[in-house]
Amino acid sequence: MSSLTLRNLKKRFGRVDVIRGVTLDVADGEFVVFVGPSGCGKSTLLRMISGLEDVTDGELRIGNRVVNEVQPAKRGVAMVFQSYALYPHLNVRDNMGFGLKVRKVPAAERQQRVSEAAALLKLDALLDRFPRELSGGQRQRVAIGRAIVGHPDVFLFDEPLSNLDAELRVHMRSEIAALHKRLGNTMIYVTHDQVEAMTLADKIVVLRDGRIEQVGSPRELYEQPDNIFVAQFIGSPKMNILPAGSAAGFGAQPAGAVSVGVRPEHLSLVAPEKGQIGGKVVISEYTGASSLLHIRLDSGETCLVVVDGDAPEADMKVGLLAGTDNLHHFDTDGMALRKSRLLM
Amino acid sequence: MTARDERAPWLTLKMREAMEAWLFISPTLAGFLIFFVGPLCAVVWYSLTEWNLLSQQSVFVGLDNYDDALFHNLDFWQVVRNSIVFAIGLVPLNMALALALALALSRRFAGVVFFRTVFFAPVVTSAVAWAIVWKFLLQGEAGFVNQMLAGIGIHGPNWLREPDWAMVAVIVTRVIKMVGLNMILYIAALQAIPRDYEAAARLEGASNWQIFRMITWPLLGPTTLVIMVITTIGSFKVFDHIYLMTGGGPENGTLVLAFYIYQQGFQFFDVGYASALAMIMFVIVMGLTVVQLALRRRDT
Amino acid sequence: MIGSLTQRQLRAVKQICWTLALCVVAIPFVFPFLWMISSGLKGPSEIFGQPSLIPTSFRWNNYLEVFNYQPFARQYFNSLYIAVTVTLLTLFISSLAGYALARLRFAGAALVALFLVSALMVPEEVTIIPNFFLIRWLGLSDTHWPLILLPVFGSQGIVGTFLMRQYFLALPKELEDAGKMDGLSRFGVWWRIALPMSRPALAAVAIITFLNSWNLFLEPLIFISSLEKFTLPLALSNFTDPYGSPLWHLQLAATTLAVLPILMVYLIAQRQIIESFALSGVKG
Repeated sequence: MSSLTLRNLKKRFGRVDVIRGVTLDVADGEFVVFVGPSGCGKSTLLRMISGLEDVTDGELRIGNRVVNEVQPAKRGVAMVFQSYALYPHLNVRDNMGFGLKVRKVPAAERQQRVSEAAALLKLDALLDRFPRELSGGQRQRVAIGRAIVGHPDVFLFDEPLSNLDAELRVHMRSEIAALHKRLGNTMIYVTHDQVEAMTLADKIVVLRDGRIEQVGSPRELYEQPDNIFVAQFIGSPKMNILPAGSAAGFGAQPAGAVSVGVRPEHLSLVAPEKGQIGGKVVISEYTGASSLLHIRLDSGETCLVVVDGDAPEADMKVGLLAGTDNLHHFDTDGMALRKSRLLM
Repeated sequence: MTARDERAPWLTLKMREAMEAWLFISPTLAGFLIFFVGPLCAVVWYSLTEWNLLSQQSVFVGLDNYDDALFHNLDFWQVVRNSIVFAIGLVPLNMALALALALALSRRFAGVVFFRTVFFAPVVTSAVAWAIVWKFLLQGEAGFVNQMLAGIGIHGPNWLREPDWAMVAVIVTRVIKMVGLNMILYIAALQAIPRDYEAAARLEGASNWQIFRMITWPLLGPTTLVIMVITTIGSFKVFDHIYLMTGGGPENGTLVLAFYIYQQGFQFFDVGYASALAMIMFVIVMGLTVVQLALRRRDT
Repeated sequence: MIGSLTQRQLRAVKQICWTLALCVVAIPFVFPFLWMISSGLKGPSEIFGQPSLIPTSFRWNNYLEVFNYQPFARQYFNSLYIAVTVTLLTLFISSLAGYALARLRFAGAALVALFLVSALMVPEEVTIIPNFFLIRWLGLSDTHWPLILLPVFGSQGIVGTFLMRQYFLALPKELEDAGKMDGLSRFGVWWRIALPMSRPALAAVAIITFLNSWNLFLEPLIFISSLEKFTLPLALSNFTDPYGSPLWHLQLAATTLAVLPILMVYLIAQRQIIESFALSGVKG
């Protein structure tokens, strides 16, 4: 009942094309994350779904309805904002009940819905406080509570955790995941943080310059990126991309391969004479559980390698090994050459 | 139930927003057209006619009214001279005093709030009350100011009855009334200057004067420009102050443009001539604004 | 000897000198008020006698005469209700327009703003003659309507519009988005979210608008002819003997009555009032 369909959606601000034709299907109950670098249009796309931005061209459907020209409040969506956007002149109870009041929901039902949401989010004790008296995490919960009381079909989150400190962010992330499991609603979540995207999403949509680069589950994006952009955007530290010539030592390459990608965590260090490719350690960054090595290859490129345990020191000569399964091949346009095609 | 069931409303969200905007702004816009744009056009037309309120006759006379003002009416040039003297006396005095007070009061010290309150008090006071009290203080022999001057052996002039002194009196009392406004604008600007600049300059051994000349004053530039424009235009608008203190006299010594327009239009009922004066005033004020802004732009 | 003073003592001495200098400068700012109050309590003969700040005998009778000379209470009330009306109307109209200019996207917004700003530069004396005929044509001469309409729709209203616009621009936009998601209409967002968050700006507009109306002189002078329709500034200028010379003791007593309440409010709320003027000036 609350699936979401985007058909060639476009948005133009004056002469600037911000969204250049996005087509996407979101199934009922799916948790979809829009991710991409800043300026990629992910927030604009979310705001178009919410109705806060109008649609320049294309078709937007929520459930069975075309909602291009439907006002935000009548789309059956609720939004959680980056800055929480709590009304400073209203207390928590009134903030959460505001939308219901505007929609003329009877006081008794309003009261009940607010207390349900408050109980769910453990906000019971804070109902009479004002936003300025709350911590960041509490404000975030109130913002979520405000979205819940309206019983929306679709939840929209616009970078909801980016104003929180690191520890709280991890905690709230799990709370949102738990909330999704419990409510089972369709949720759309915008973030620039790929870790957040990987941990939360059923389906990730990677955006760049107003276009979709790839759609898929976190595993699909990590294991089978469609192109160099997605390959480097997903995963940290980011994937090494080497010219096909420099990476020849790693094994056979399909026809048309111009560059080869391999993730730092998929490379292993061996003695110089045993490696498929040789190089020299330039910098060794110790981060506790593992070390991040910057290695200058014999062919001149720099390559990152993650090593568990003891790492060689700078200036040491090393050899690199990579499993064939972990190699990604890209053509001149940066598009992936699939392994299935390689086998044929 | 198909997707097409819900037909698009006749207004798109975008058109709706624009319509709401015009709705929101319409009272202001209507008032602006009725009480400003319309009259501004009308005054152009009036200025080209000979229209006597008493005879209720309106005749098109071309540029006669302007010709009258610029080449035949001796009063006019005296009025222009008076307006310029008034502005030239008032603007620098006001701005210098405002800046001096602001510099003294932008730091924190015991009593700073008291002094700010005092210097700003005349701003909130009605111009009529201010003029009445000062007129009283500046009476000839018996006036308080002259009695005080006599106390230290100075024989004060009859301030408001001698043309030159009247101009001085009108300017000074007006500055005292309005200087508080510019003072707080300067204070706000001074407090917006980061403390680090002064600290850095001091570490390099700059004196107070050097700091003011090379750091504070240039950084105050935009504020000074705004204040200069506002104060200059304000000086051309002064009416009530002069109406009550001197009535334009003595011997038209304080007859300024704003007052002259009122006099010709509402006391002598020469609507055409008064409208031509209004147009001249409009041109002068607009010209001054443009010149000041242009000068500043070339500077920076 | 100066050399024997510590840095701290030196600074204290300097501060005292500065304070004394400021006190001297303050005299012409404060004294007129004191002399006004004092002279308003003197008789016609003492008023030009030996100057003394404390009257030899307090003539409270002046204050009774003020009300007998002309319908001063009525005139006082006129000023008050006109100023309140102008303030409320200006708040409503200018915050609506300011909101549209700050938040709504529509073709011509920049042009409208430019037109309104340029009107601020034009002295009201330029348009007062046609406005006089307009008001007469509308049959509103010698009524309070022009004293309400002209300020609300004149430069005062425009100052208010831009002050509000500036403030709205600085408000977090997401709050208004949240309001829209909660189902508020455009008007609802303005009324229930933007306005409650703009109290400082509304207060600033209210303060400068009220004072402007309270002190208005040219318009009453031109439009009002009946004594009982006078506003305070006009009434104050009207305490004269049959030959046109001022009746100083009455005039100053009446002026005291007009100025003192405003001054009291100013002393209590000086911080807010001064800030309001700073706000309105900075944007200009």
